Amino acid sequence: MPNPETAEDQPRQMMGAPYTWMLRASPLQWVRPYWHKPLGLTTITAGALLFPIISRNDANIDSAANALAFAALALGLNIVVGFAGLLDLGYAAFFAIGAYTYGAFASFQIEPAWSPFWQPFEWLGLVAHMGDVVHFTVSFWLMLPFSAAVAALFGVLFGAPTLRLKGDYLAIVTLGFGEIVPIVARNTPSVTNGAMGLNGVAAPQLFGWSFGVNATPYYYVGVALVALLIFCSTRLKSSRVGRAWMAIREDEIAAAAMGINRVKFKLLAFAMGAAFAGATGTYFVAKLQTATPEMFMFPVSVMILVMIVFGGIGSVWGVVLGALILQILQSWFLEDLSQWLHVLGRLVHVDWLQRVELSSSIEMIFGVILVTMMLYRRQGLIPATRPVQALSMTEQTAHVGSGGSSHNFDRLRGLGTLDREADEPLLAVADMTVRFGGLVALRSVELTVPSHSVVAVIGPNGSGKSTLFNAVTGLVTPDAGQVRFAGESITRLPPHRVLDRGMARTFQNLRLFPGLTVLENVMIGRHARLSTGAFGALLRLPGTKREEEAAREHCLEILSVFGNRLLPRVDHVVSSLSYANRRRVEIARALASSPKLLLLDEPTAGMNPAETQELADQIKGLNQLGLTIVLIEHKLDVVVRLASKVIVLDHGEKIAEGTPDAVRRDEEVMRAYLGRSVAVA
Amino acid sequence: MTTGALYLQQIINGLSLGAMYALLALGFTLVYGILELINFAHFNVFMVSSFIAMWALELLGLSGQGVVLTGFALVGALAFAFVVTMVVAGCLGVAIERLALRPMRAVRGTAAMITTIGVSYILFNAILLTVGAESKNFPNPMPSVSWEIGGATLRLREVLIWCVALVLMAGLHLFVNRTRLGKAMRATAQDAEAARMMGIDVDRVIITAFFLGSALAGAAALIFGLYYNYTSFIIGYSAGLRAFTAAVLGGIGSVTGAMIGGVIIGLVEALGGQVFAVRWTDVIIFSILVLVLVFAPTGLLGRAAPTKS
Repeated sequence: MPNPETAEDQPRQMMGAPYTWMLRASPLQWVRPYWHKPLGLTTITAGALLFPIISRNDANIDSAANALAFAALALGLNIVVGFAGLLDLGYAAFFAIGAYTYGAFASFQIEPAWSPFWQPFEWLGLVAHMGDVVHFTVSFWLMLPFSAAVAALFGVLFGAPTLRLKGDYLAIVTLGFGEIVPIVARNTPSVTNGAMGLNGVAAPQLFGWSFGVNATPYYYVGVALVALLIFCSTRLKSSRVGRAWMAIREDEIAAAAMGINRVKFKLLAFAMGAAFAGATGTYFVAKLQTATPEMFMFPVSVMILVMIVFGGIGSVWGVVLGALILQILQSWFLEDLSQWLHVLGRLVHVDWLQRVELSSSIEMIFGVILVTMMLYRRQGLIPATRPVQALSMTEQTAHVGSGGSSHNFDRLRGLGTLDREADEPLLAVADMTVRFGGLVALRSVELTVPSHSVVAVIGPNGSGKSTLFNAVTGLVTPDAGQVRFAGESITRLPPHRVLDRGMARTFQNLRLFPGLTVLENVMIGRHARLSTGAFGALLRLPGTKREEEAAREHCLEILSVFGNRLLPRVDHVVSSLSYANRRRVEIARALASSPKLLLLDEPTAGMNPAETQELADQIKGLNQLGLTIVLIEHKLDVVVRLASKVIVLDHGEKIAEGTPDAVRRDEEVMRAYLGRSVAVA
Repeated sequence: MTTGALYLQQIINGLSLGAMYALLALGFTLVYGILELINFAHFNVFMVSSFIAMWALELLGLSGQGVVLTGFALVGALAFAFVVTMVVAGCLGVAIERLALRPMRAVRGTAAMITTIGVSYILFNAILLTVGAESKNFPNPMPSVSWEIGGATLRLREVLIWCVALVLMAGLHLFVNRTRLGKAMRATAQDAEAARMMGIDVDRVIITAFFLGSALAGAAALIFGLYYNYTSFIIGYSAGLRAFTAAVLGGIGSVTGAMIGGVIIGLVEALGGQVFAVRWTDVIIFSILVLVLVFAPTGLLGRAAPTKS
């Protein structure tokens, strides 16, 4: 019998082909894979450090320093757009805020009258007493983090109103903020000198030596800045924080249901991206020693967007490469190409060739690149996710361990244990009412779930079963009713808090994070039980490392519940899995949060009888470990086999409750399922 | 002028701007209603159309403000310019849909919108590189007839702009509500999948939406030229964003909403410039955009908040 998974895995094999071909063609084939990364990093670092010594051309070094500034901006935008999926079309605003922050504290723009108030600041070296005015002289090195912090603050400020908006609308609002900032800068000349641009911004100093207008020191600061931001980006990406961002990007609702505080992590992404731009703004203005509002308008935001689209949205090295290539194209290559065309024009006596100025068509080239990449290579030059080797035929058709037997569960013991065993039921829903406009989806529904039991909720389509789950887990706000869980009220708690309390769920229509791997999906399920924050992720202290390692181990244990259905596929993107396997991943993801109560919404939908049987065994196994389960199910044999109690909903009302056998004989239930006439007959 | 007359004058100006923004807003709303796509290319379809309109008038031997036509010659010349501009602009819109946006239709997320930004850039630079950066004198063959009303001046061109806008909007309203293709459009806007199952050629509906929207942008571009007497490669962005704000304010996806929103934005721009300072007009408009999106994303007449992520 052909395995249903085989067909779906085929295209992946083909996707891998060009990469193996590239590897074979490159000198890397003589190097052991273990050495690829350190070797690559060393080469890049050496190249970056030696460039000014080799080049010796100040103009080239200057262009390279500008390119580095844009690489830094691309890295920042990549956090917002690439990691968290929040399309920001006004990103240059944060660049502007960083730039003007430095401009305000290190130029002759703001000069308040001298008063004794400034004396302590003069002792600290932040201001100078010039005649009867104050001159700000805050060091560049102090302003770098300070501007980042100011920009981050504005990131939160601009991000907060957009939290409820999605996709395109978010983009438009950010565009609006992105336009307002430069206009305000132009119209408040007392701080920014308006359209004329800032005057006399101080050059950075290092140990008393001023950078002046020499390009080389700026270049090295740029290299350090980009290196720092690459380091931050890669650390964040592979941490709990990065996974939370990607979860929000892939499916916001599922992210919330898996315990991710959307408000917090979206604002963190905005703040982090803005901080990168703020620091870069300071660097850029220190280098140019002026700033005008035109430097921060919409075209700049679009240019940075083109860079990350070109390099690969979400890919750290990709966006750096994209930014460098486009900037260098702009400042070196187009000039040279124009010169060559002029020479050619003189040789063949073609007048217009002598006048071509390709550098003025750079925005046209950006437009063409943007459209071409979107149409033909959306993943960019260096894709954020690399395809994995497909399973071999043998691996795919290997015997499927049923997973139901107890040895698979040894390490999961403790699942579903309660902090304190109480007499009251684990979950008690009272008087739950949900209305959608005029439709009453649930009418005063009661539900009690005793600890360590399996309760099934059945009912015809549209009877309100999934709405009940949504209302209990906080995805839908009930119009009336209380939910008590493990002895505490959780009514109207947001979804991520509900999960945190120990209630995890799956969705009827599958809400996985489609672009992430099996293991990443399950690790996101573990989110609420981990504690690493942004600083923890950046520092990666031994504690963080241990936590991450333990989480990975734990998730692999959970995947082993399903025998070898999922274990060989942990690094596969879930959208490439078969339907049944995706259902299993969703259950594993819910289990990863170490729930006390598991809500399964039609777990066996789309499975064949053998697979249904297998999953029923596994659910039974989980329950025997002590996990309390509520399941919505249409297959009555599964219900009878698993549930100790059945609730029947019809048109939003509970019409029966009892043991599976009792419910099956209930007249009201037959009427709901089969129609009035049958029941009467 | 007295203060009252000044405000009356700004209301007249605002209504003319509003007519233009309303026509432009309809293009956003028609496409958004069907594809849930914010079409940034529309900004510069408008800008390119203003050059098409200029060339169409120059084809008739009109350039600058030197030649003044009256009677049938005037009507004929303007009718020719409107038809040519609207047809060419419509075809440009269809070409953009066919070449750049149709392949993106199946892609989820913001990829299609990013593509329209790229298309917009290409149009922008195509004009910049071929025509040049200096602004062009837009032909205006209308005689300078004007009336005095309460101290304010009402010029013939303003009356003409209002008439053209009203005729076009009434025409669109009839098309959407009374014709078979219009009904197909409304059905597709509700649920493209269901419309397809009911035998509606969704591709044709989408092409129609792009054609109509771009053609109306063409009409708006001609109005822009007649009103301001110039055109330039940069006019697309600010006019486009105002029109988009109008579409959002009226409730994006709603045809009537776009018309009302356009008029409101036109009045806000004219009166806002009067009350505050012209240099703050942009901030006022962008603030309206942000506030509406954040606090009332359905706008005045829109349907439920966008669900596409």
